[in-house]
Amino acid sequence: MKRTCDNWQDKLPVGKSGIHLYEEFELRAKNVSTEVFHVKRADEAGKIILDIVKETGAKYVASVWCPLVEASGIVDELKDNGIIVYTEQIDIAENIDITDMGISGVEFGIAECGSVCQDALAIETRLVSSLPPLHIAFMESRNIVPEIGDAIDIISGFFTEGYVSWLTGPSRTADIERVLTIGVHGPGRLVIIAVDEGMDGGAV
Amino acid sequence: MSKRRNLKKEIHEKLNDEVLRDALGRFAEEYPVAREKALENIEDVETLRESLKSMKRDSVERISELADRFEEEAIRHGVRVFRAKTGEDLKQYILDLCKERGVKCIVKSKSMASEEVELNPALEKAGIEVKETDLGEWIISLAGHRPSHMVLPAIHLNRYQVSEYFSRELDKSIDPDIAFMVQTTRVALRESFLNADMGITGANFGVAENGAIGLVTNEGNGRLATTLPRIHVVIIGYEKLIPTMKDATPILRLLPRNATAQLMTSYMSIISGPTPIMVKGSDGWKEDKKEIHYILLDNGRLTAAHDDIFKEVYQCIRCGACLNVCPVYELVGGHVYSGHTYMGGIGTILSAFTGGMKEFEDFNALCIGCRKCTTVCPGKINIPDLIEEMRIRSVKENGLPFAVSKIFDVMTNRRFFHGLLRVASVAQKPFTSGGLVRHLPLFLGGMTKDRSLPAIAKIPLRDRIGDVIKKIEKPAKRVGFFSGCTMDFVFPETGENVIKVIQDLNMEVVYPEGQGCCGKPVSATGDVEYTKKLAMNNIEAFEDFDVDVIICACPTGVEQIRDYPHLLEDDPESKARAKKMADKVEEFSSFVAREYEKTGRLKKAAKKADAVKITYHDSCHLKRVLGIYEEPRKLIESLEGYELVEMQDADRCCGMSGAFGVQHSNLSIPMLTEKMGKIKKTGAEIVACACSGCMVQLQGGIDQQTPDKKMKHIADILAENIKDQKAI
Repeated sequence: MKRTCDNWQDKLPVGKSGIHLYEEFELRAKNVSTEVFHVKRADEAGKIILDIVKETGAKYVASVWCPLVEASGIVDELKDNGIIVYTEQIDIAENIDITDMGISGVEFGIAECGSVCQDALAIETRLVSSLPPLHIAFMESRNIVPEIGDAIDIISGFFTEGYVSWLTGPSRTADIERVLTIGVHGPGRLVIIAVDEGMDGGAV
Repeated sequence: MSKRRNLKKEIHEKLNDEVLRDALGRFAEEYPVAREKALENIEDVETLRESLKSMKRDSVERISELADRFEEEAIRHGVRVFRAKTGEDLKQYILDLCKERGVKCIVKSKSMASEEVELNPALEKAGIEVKETDLGEWIISLAGHRPSHMVLPAIHLNRYQVSEYFSRELDKSIDPDIAFMVQTTRVALRESFLNADMGITGANFGVAENGAIGLVTNEGNGRLATTLPRIHVVIIGYEKLIPTMKDATPILRLLPRNATAQLMTSYMSIISGPTPIMVKGSDGWKEDKKEIHYILLDNGRLTAAHDDIFKEVYQCIRCGACLNVCPVYELVGGHVYSGHTYMGGIGTILSAFTGGMKEFEDFNALCIGCRKCTTVCPGKINIPDLIEEMRIRSVKENGLPFAVSKIFDVMTNRRFFHGLLRVASVAQKPFTSGGLVRHLPLFLGGMTKDRSLPAIAKIPLRDRIGDVIKKIEKPAKRVGFFSGCTMDFVFPETGENVIKVIQDLNMEVVYPEGQGCCGKPVSATGDVEYTKKLAMNNIEAFEDFDVDVIICACPTGVEQIRDYPHLLEDDPESKARAKKMADKVEEFSSFVAREYEKTGRLKKAAKKADAVKITYHDSCHLKRVLGIYEEPRKLIESLEGYELVEMQDADRCCGMSGAFGVQHSNLSIPMLTEKMGKIKKTGAEIVACACSGCMVQLQGGIDQQTPDKKMKHIADILAENIKDQKAI
């Protein structure tokens, strides 16, 4: 899978980023209608996602690989529950317009504005996070930077080529009578699953 | 389009457009609160604005270097770059590209620059299907309108109108339910996204050091337009270039907060180089590389960049905050208060560069000069000053209209002009008709049912001073009094009170009779030559009297005199004399407050049980140019007989602003009515202000709308409260 950066984890500012910013991040994310779930281990995500599947009646899911998605075991769990899950690039491309839910990983959160930063170079990552009506994003809860400026500093450190997106709540518009309405062209729901369990094996 | 616009007619239509008035009225009320809230978690907003401003200033200083680097880096990463000098060049490039690549369907994400060059009609004429995908842009494209706001292009339409456009486009009945219409948009435009061969987007910034662009959207159409079609064309104006990635920070912190009161928009993407796409061929799906083109658009922008004054427009990040707080925009919207593309005060300047001087001349008079926009602009652009500067250029290029120059001939002949005013006090009628009136100082204008304009006083201040001016033994200061025309001929009693308050400070007052018009009504039209004459007249009038300080109880007069050295800078001798005068001028209320402070008179008084409620109106120029708003309030609070009650939006323009109030009475009166409503809500008996221009307007509103209230200048209030009335 193509990445703008091979190791985002190493780029986070030591001492500045961390789980101490989680509360502020969660507050700001929820303020813009992001649904946030905080779990200790990735495998706890299964129940959350299955509940959403039940609630929405989702039948087709597209999921792109990331360490947390893998650790959650969600792809197999969904399949066991009779859901069709696309994980290969060509399957995603072929079926994205009928997909009910996209699953992907994001690199870090920004406390100041409740955004998450996604390495969106891989086409499949962009497809699953921008076309289906619902997008579920996995994030490590310790990977949160304080401000927009810190996030730009990280990107500035290595970025020459690629595609990076910040996602902040669901797709929205206020173009008719300034009435806030969600789900125009992008997902009408953004769900973030913040996982404490560190992917390099360390506890948080 | 060589015909001149009929602005009066356009304004009239919009004032009667209830949908527009309702939408903009609510927006104007809600926006400042929402913006304030969005800025809450920024520690120091001023420092952040300053950093945006200096970053953008630095960028425009080396715009050629940035453009070269941006181009070089983009090419290095595999992007094709085209520099379009004009809109025609831009359109031709895209048309050629479409032809070469067999493009049949284009999806567009919002780009004001493409509106500016009228890209869509050119593409459609060539048989290419173009879909605007931003909901607001799509709506207005269906309606055949231009955007009426930079961020909310369809703010002038309501749900019922939108449902009609949708029903017509989709050939079925669409309910006027907003959520449903948004879903309908999603479905209708999704097809276009999936089928499009090309995506066209704007850019919120372009980074010179790596050739990347940044895109800020809420709907997600930007991400789709850059992800699905095989070709991506970016239309980016030179003003969007920034040196480094890190320079995006102040833009990203301020743009969403100011534009839509969001801490961040739903999507912000930074893209550089050809990114992967999926292409379906005969052998199925395959990953490929996207083809990317950057079109760097000039169309007047580089002229602005290389202009010492107007390079300031590069500080604009197109957030629209200036529109959102503009009282004139609130009344007429962005179809009237705009040139071909850009709206409001900033649009007035941008139009001069992208459309030409004629476009500017057609609507620049709509800037009332209240300067509210300067308090919110994230790039700290002095929009009203730039408009005044552009007026000067326009007069230099094309001269003044004949009728106006005739009036200025009259005004610069002080004796003749004052003679006319005296005649007017006896026979006011003859002056209320004919072409002269519109351009003469405001008090010669007409009356309306919601505002009476004050009569010219029977005896002007200049004929009363003999009775008021007293000999002061051992005066602390010798004070020259510059009254300005309004105080002289309309409110001479207030002028007398100014003198009394100063004499009560044990200061001697002198009133040079040679003084005349400060020059503001003339300089506001962009004329320099007549303004210079008026300035020289006042300089001469005062330099014979050896005064320590010159007091003016009208902020515009203070501002104008302080500008004399700049006005006369071409002649070193005149400039030096002007500077002498300018250095001495002080605004009345702040001067008195300082003197009261020295003797302990400024401290807050204990209120009397029967204290009279009083509310204070901030004059635009007193607050936002001179920075004086605490002093008048402190003066009121130092008096035991008054209880100060604040009105909502005390610093919102009353609608006068000199000649504007008469010339555009149809705009001025609604602003006055709004102000009167806020005054009524306070329950105050007295309305105070410290500006004779505002007094004209508020007095007129009180007469017609709330006759139970009294209008007073701070000088009137202070004079009435001087303990020993006999002594003054």
